[in-house]
Amino acid sequence: MIEIRHLKKAYAEVTPLKDVNADIRDGDVIAVIGPSGTGKSTLLRCINLLEQPSGGSIRIDGEEILDPSCDIHRIRQKVGMVFQSFNLFQHLTAIENIMMPQMDLLGVSRQEAYDRGIALLRKVGLVKQALRYPDEMSGGQKQRVAIARTLAMDPEVILFDEPTSALDPAMIGEVEAVIRTLAGEGKTMLIVTHELRFARSVSNRVFYMDEGGIYEDGPTEKIFTAPERERTRQFIRNLKVLELEIDDPNSDFPSLLTQYCSKNLLSARMASHLQIAFEELVQQILLPQSGKTGIRFTAEYSEQEESTRIIVKYKGSPVDLASAAYELPLTLLKGISSGMRHEAGIEENVISLTI
Amino acid sequence: MSKKKKALILAGILVVALALLCGCQAREDAPHTYTTLSELENKRIGATTGSVQAQQAEERFPNAKIFFFSTSVDMLNALRANRIDAYADAEIMARYMMGENPDLTYLEEKLADGMKVAGIFPKTEEGRKLCAEYSAFIREIKASGEYEEIEAIWLGSDESRRTVPDPDSLEGPNGTLRLAADLTMIPFAYMKDGKPVGMDIDTVIRFCSKNGYALEVVSMDFGAILPAITTSKCDLAAGGIAYTEERAESVLFSEPTFEGGSVVAVLKADGLSATGFWESFRTSFEKTFIREGRWKLFVRGIGNTVLITLLASLFGTVLGFLAYLLCRKGSPVANKLTGACIWLVQGMPTVVLLMVLYYVVFKRLDISALVVAVIGFTLTFGAAMYGMLRSGVEAVERGQTEAAYALGYTDRRTFFRIILPQAAFHFLPEYRGQITALLKATAVVGYITVLDLTRMGDIVRSRTYEAFFPLLAVTVFYFAVAAVLTWFIKRITVYVDPHNRKPEQILKGVQTHD
Repeated sequence: MIEIRHLKKAYAEVTPLKDVNADIRDGDVIAVIGPSGTGKSTLLRCINLLEQPSGGSIRIDGEEILDPSCDIHRIRQKVGMVFQSFNLFQHLTAIENIMMPQMDLLGVSRQEAYDRGIALLRKVGLVKQALRYPDEMSGGQKQRVAIARTLAMDPEVILFDEPTSALDPAMIGEVEAVIRTLAGEGKTMLIVTHELRFARSVSNRVFYMDEGGIYEDGPTEKIFTAPERERTRQFIRNLKVLELEIDDPNSDFPSLLTQYCSKNLLSARMASHLQIAFEELVQQILLPQSGKTGIRFTAEYSEQEESTRIIVKYKGSPVDLASAAYELPLTLLKGISSGMRHEAGIEENVISLTI
Repeated sequence: MSKKKKALILAGILVVALALLCGCQAREDAPHTYTTLSELENKRIGATTGSVQAQQAEERFPNAKIFFFSTSVDMLNALRANRIDAYADAEIMARYMMGENPDLTYLEEKLADGMKVAGIFPKTEEGRKLCAEYSAFIREIKASGEYEEIEAIWLGSDESRRTVPDPDSLEGPNGTLRLAADLTMIPFAYMKDGKPVGMDIDTVIRFCSKNGYALEVVSMDFGAILPAITTSKCDLAAGGIAYTEERAESVLFSEPTFEGGSVVAVLKADGLSATGFWESFRTSFEKTFIREGRWKLFVRGIGNTVLITLLASLFGTVLGFLAYLLCRKGSPVANKLTGACIWLVQGMPTVVLLMVLYYVVFKRLDISALVVAVIGFTLTFGAAMYGMLRSGVEAVERGQTEAAYALGYTDRRTFFRIILPQAAFHFLPEYRGQITALLKATAVVGYITVLDLTRMGDIVRSRTYEAFFPLLAVTVFYFAVAAVLTWFIKRITVYVDPHNRKPEQILKGVQTHD
């Protein structure tokens, strides 16, 4: 239904979308997730040309929308959009917000527009608020009216651009419930959201966006339980990652570690254990050895599990941990961690453990 | 209720201010009395701008400080307020003023002799011909004794004889002459019973009637007369215009219609006898409104002021709107052009803009000054409107446009259906202010011969010698007109505010089920 090929969007300063490729099929409910600034909203806004892409191709029902001869207004009627900031027309009541686009753009009669408007307001539970102005409604109510307005145009696909980000926590539920109902009815939707639990429960497909494109695309359950790629896993598990390249002996690693711990609110115990792990693994075991280059120290802290996974990779011949020289450091490490593994490889050797 | 109260309080304040100013006209301390010109060597002396007397005063009193005024009445009031010690004027004017103001006198010792009042004509082929014709007529009446008769009427003391035939009654087989005159120049040209009269007006009417011309008298500020003649906007000008070499360089002077001297006017030692406040208020009121039916002048003035304001705001709104529509899409040509026009219109003093339009741009076109005034203020109001629209539209959140686009609205429809109704709401309060500002700004149209409220006030002032009463009356009228206009626009504001609609209006034409 929507085919995106090599989509690129570049601004003067940044390039949020480098190369995006995707096929959106009828009935897809796609949660678009990923860290901030990875172009999730930009992707949505390119699909209805609120942003003019810098290159690539977007086909909607086989029609190339980047073709200058394409009637974008007709395409936009097929692609509804729900905004983070609702954007209800301030000078119109809730019912008029739903009626006016129908009358202006679909050419339906006042009566038809009204009947449909009331039906939709009933669906989102706001019939009583029909004659209210946007500034007389709560954020959640406004967003539900905005969804009804979009539905009134009977679009083939609806783009939700962070529909609950501007809402008080108490109102998020009512808006999510409406979107969930629509998903149940088989509407094709793309939902940019930061609410991972909502994304998991509402969607049947996930785009994880990172590195200027769709980093991983897959069925919701797979993405959430067994993501294939590294960054997806870190994001899904909400891991706080620290990566240190131990090539420069002059870098002040202890203070980088301290910064990381305080930034991610690690407990004092966890922080001191992390400190010990770094000292023993890197400074006591690996650095004294000659010929161990390309040492990379990675820490992934998981808030939910209150644990940190540490992975140290290095090149060169593997260290013999059984050697008596490492007895003291190993004892210390075992005291604070579990599941320590040492794998020798042709390219790299990996030591991993969990604190 | 509170609005009514406010209006009442405002009216009260105005009346008190009016009363105070009227009362203050009575002088506190007796002024020094002068008897010779030499006593005035280092004093403050008034003169009318560009007059012969101003020149003569500067020559005679090189050490004195000369103050410039636009009318003799202003000088009299300045004298009374002790802003100047004396003023130079034509003897004939001073004599006339003395008749009405017992506290005024002039020094026996003349400032200069040989002031020649004459008609002036453009230096064109037609101007030369007409000037010769007029001069021949003057020589003829001087020879026949008709001239003495005219002089006796206008310089004599019998007020009832001072009438002229209605200029409109003249038949013009040889065409119509446009006469430029400053109708504050007693006794040469002034307003009486709402009609132009005076010695020069009388002479010109006699000339027209004899030589078969119809006549149209165009009233204007003295300063506007010379440009009106040099640009041939008028065929001739008369009414206390004195000969100077400098003026003769740009216009033709006819045979003089009056010769007299210049004098210096001062206040008498035994000045005004103090009158009661209500007494003076009553007299001022009678002089300003009742006598000679002067209220009709005010009515005409208000009519013109309101007409200019209404038309200019209407056309200006349309103009600003069209300009905004052209520039909205960011076309660089349209934007640069509009920017330049606005820069020009807003940077120029309104008076200059009007003068340029009247005397330069529309010089060749025979359109009335009123139309030029409407055009001029349409331009200024259009510029303001453009600015208001811009800021009004900018005040509407970007999201409104995006939401409309996302629904499938075209750019044009987005603007008219969604952005403009919201922008209107932002700029209407300022719009109201701009209309009031426009109303007040129209006060300068007197410069291009339009008889608006302010100009009528000046004309009445020149007849009553009252400094403040007519001015304050004019002010009260401006307030009243402004109040009516703002009330009207407020009604519109209420009407366009969607929040004020009733549910029936919102759902008009819809059958509701519940």
